[in-house]
Amino acid sequence: MKITSYIKKIFNYSPPFKYQFSLPNDFNKTNLDLPQENLVHSKENRNIFTSLDVNSDYIKSRYNILINSDIITREFILNARGKQYKALLLYIDGMIDSQILNDFVLEPLMMRNRNNMFEGDKNRIISEAVSNNITVRKVKKFDLADYIENCLIPQNNIKQSKSFEEIFSGVNSGNCALFVDTLDIAFDIDIKGFKQRSISKPENEIVIKGPHEAFVENLRTNTSLLRRFSNNENLIIESLEVGKLTKTKCAVCYMQDIANGDLVAEVKYRINNLDIDSLLSSGQLEQLISDNNSLGLPKSISTERPDNAVQHLLEGRIIVLVNGSPYALILPAIMIDFLTSPEDRNLKTIFSNFLRAIRIISAFFALLLPGLYVSITSFHIEILPTELLYSILAARESVPFPVIFEILIMEISFEIIREASLRVPSAIGSTIGIVGALVIGQAAVSAGIVSPILIIIVAITALSSFAIPDYSFSFHLRLFRFLFILLGYMCGFLGIGTGLFVYLSIICDMESFGVSYSLPYSHMENLKNTGIILPPIWKREYRSSYLATKKAKKQEDISMKWKFNK
Amino acid sequence: MAKHKISTISAIMLTLSIVVSYITSSFPRTFINETKSATLINIVYITILVLFIILIFCNLFKRFPGLDLLDISKFLGGNILKDIIGSFFIMYFTISSSIMLRNFCESLVVIYYPLTNYVFIILMFIFSISLVNRLDFSSTLNVSSIVFPLVLISALLLFCGNLDNFSFKRIYPILGDGFYNTFILGLKNIGAFGGICYLYFLPPMLKEPQKFKKIAVISVIATGLFIFLCVATLLFMFSFFITTDEVMPLFSAARYIEFGTFFQRFESVFLLIWIISFCCFLSITCKFSTNIFNKMFNLSDMKAMSNIFILLIFALSLLPQNYAIANFLETNIYRYLRIAVGFILGITILILANIKKKKVGEKD
Repeated sequence: MKITSYIKKIFNYSPPFKYQFSLPNDFNKTNLDLPQENLVHSKENRNIFTSLDVNSDYIKSRYNILINSDIITREFILNARGKQYKALLLYIDGMIDSQILNDFVLEPLMMRNRNNMFEGDKNRIISEAVSNNITVRKVKKFDLADYIENCLIPQNNIKQSKSFEEIFSGVNSGNCALFVDTLDIAFDIDIKGFKQRSISKPENEIVIKGPHEAFVENLRTNTSLLRRFSNNENLIIESLEVGKLTKTKCAVCYMQDIANGDLVAEVKYRINNLDIDSLLSSGQLEQLISDNNSLGLPKSISTERPDNAVQHLLEGRIIVLVNGSPYALILPAIMIDFLTSPEDRNLKTIFSNFLRAIRIISAFFALLLPGLYVSITSFHIEILPTELLYSILAARESVPFPVIFEILIMEISFEIIREASLRVPSAIGSTIGIVGALVIGQAAVSAGIVSPILIIIVAITALSSFAIPDYSFSFHLRLFRFLFILLGYMCGFLGIGTGLFVYLSIICDMESFGVSYSLPYSHMENLKNTGIILPPIWKREYRSSYLATKKAKKQEDISMKWKFNK
Repeated sequence: MAKHKISTISAIMLTLSIVVSYITSSFPRTFINETKSATLINIVYITILVLFIILIFCNLFKRFPGLDLLDISKFLGGNILKDIIGSFFIMYFTISSSIMLRNFCESLVVIYYPLTNYVFIILMFIFSISLVNRLDFSSTLNVSSIVFPLVLISALLLFCGNLDNFSFKRIYPILGDGFYNTFILGLKNIGAFGGICYLYFLPPMLKEPQKFKKIAVISVIATGLFIFLCVATLLFMFSFFITTDEVMPLFSAARYIEFGTFFQRFESVFLLIWIISFCCFLSITCKFSTNIFNKMFNLSDMKAMSNIFILLIFALSLLPQNYAIANFLETNIYRYLRIAVGFILGITILILANIKKKKVGEKD
């Protein structure tokens, strides 16, 4: 940069630019007041129409086929007893076995063969008796539905149903639905074909009491996982392409009857307006669509667990999947989300809240403990009880370096060990950890480079950072720890205090897709389901109000009706 | 001023954050020095008095829903009066924050940094608020909402932790130096409710302007309770003859807290909380000054001006030659300034504007 332009940049006035998008933050207003378009389908239970065109329109409207990228309708001509009928197959891409569909559903129905070439719509004679020159025939009237079920589709599990709800339920769970013109019933054909369990175990979000399935690199498999967990036709999966060269497929998934319309539009707007050559991972997309990247804090939850993704989906958040990436992005996210583990929902509330408190303390330690240690030993030694002060002084007696040098050596060494153990093959990764932690730590103390107390501080800090469920958030804490060490060394609690003030202010200023990042700790308002304390499962009646969802409630006031049904 | 309007609780927190800075400095000492053992009665008395004033004040604001004092001044005397009133308040906010900053930093020098020049300590605060003032106003309010509960906990801990050291007979004689000193001269302590000045500019920023009265009343009551708690701790602990010599009396009280043999002397933790709260106070005053200036001259970008006011606060805080002068300014000049601007000027404008409004209404 030229000197003149640099000077101009400093002294010239440039009007501030801030991208503005915010969700309605009138938390007290019930979200039920929001427009509830497209909610008409939620409770109706319609029967199947005889006209295929009407059925087709209804299906298109229910499944939002114009925007839903994985819902497939296949129209064809069905041959039955020499007659041709218009028919339609409905299924979800990625959830059915295409081979079975082609060989055992489409082929028998479409191709001319002995079965379907049988003569016309004659009634079948079951028995015939002649008395007094009068012939009495017992006939069975031709029934197209039975004929299709019994003669045309060689499938072991096939059901007829008159209700759209039953049919859709089957489709959502991976079946295929067959609608035939003139019939007021549809067939629910079991041709499930999604990959189950063999997919893989989650590597980074391990839970004890929860499903052990993780997303994979294939987009369609991932969308099928979401479909299977959500099992609801209101789940919209829109397909978008990002990257001029790679044209990477992304899927924006949301519950149409729950997610805020503005939020959905904003996410799609941001993804559609990316002028880049390539997109290879969800990590890149996260950075590209974040409001800002200040402090390096993550603005969206990255999960490899479909159950976690669906949980957030049902809360009213939006999931973005990127083809080739085994992680889903959950938008928007607030700070407490990064201290929440998917395990929390599976445990009893008391344990979940205990663990959450532990994680908050861990985050505090991971960020501030070394800085507090430096400032206490440099400026505020009176805070230490006399016995502890003596032991710290005795331990530091043989150390020739100032405390800042001592702590920086250990913190940087620890970061090197951590980075090295990540980069080497996993078989020797743990060995490096042991060598680093035990041998170097012990040797450093013996050599008088660092004091034993400091090893304890660094170890607690490191363990605390491991307790943070989100990798990016933990990384942020690791980095900013160094800033607080320097501030603590420079001015003690004054430095830490002013630093914390700036840090908190920046966090409070942040937004993730129009939602304040510091919620619910800063906004003392009538928020529902805030995440401060996880209520018992029967009291989780409301969705998070800051998401401004179309449906505020997710369960009735009395959800355990077996107990309190009066 | 803020991306989002201020909620009712945030507005209350805002006014309370202002009081915290007064309380953590030398204000309780002034209280006790002047009214001696009758301090608590005096606090109750002035809280009730301010409550009455605030009710009048809310009634005066009723005719101008959603307008702040500048808009009302404009209605009363046009742009000239608006500019004069705005200048007064900018001056008040700037001077108050600079005096408080200087005193707070001088106290820190005495307590923890005897070898450090106070200018460096002032600069730490200046840097932090210059960084924060680039952000939206709501961020400072949110930090206040996080920090004030901690301050309140620290005050409660101070009270509970020192219960063993309390001598409740220090409230005797109940009327201290007599009725005149307690109830007439003690009126000067009304300046402790200086946070009310900020209420003049709140209505346009409120999410629910109709709750302005509620905000004002709760703020006054909460301020009164907070002052009562802090001053009671000091009064019960120290003889009012000793208190006069202490720098940051609440900090001195924190030194005596003991929970068993391990948790002793954690006054620096209290200081850490008060430092963050003091930063909030500085940031709020600076943002209000900038907001008034922008409103006076119809500027669209608030951030461009904020650094000017920060520099002004820095320069003014360097003016007193030493701690004694800074302390004199705080105890003798600033408190009267608070009363003059916060109560007399504001309410006078409101009364006159109401009279004019009534006349205009009658003519119409």
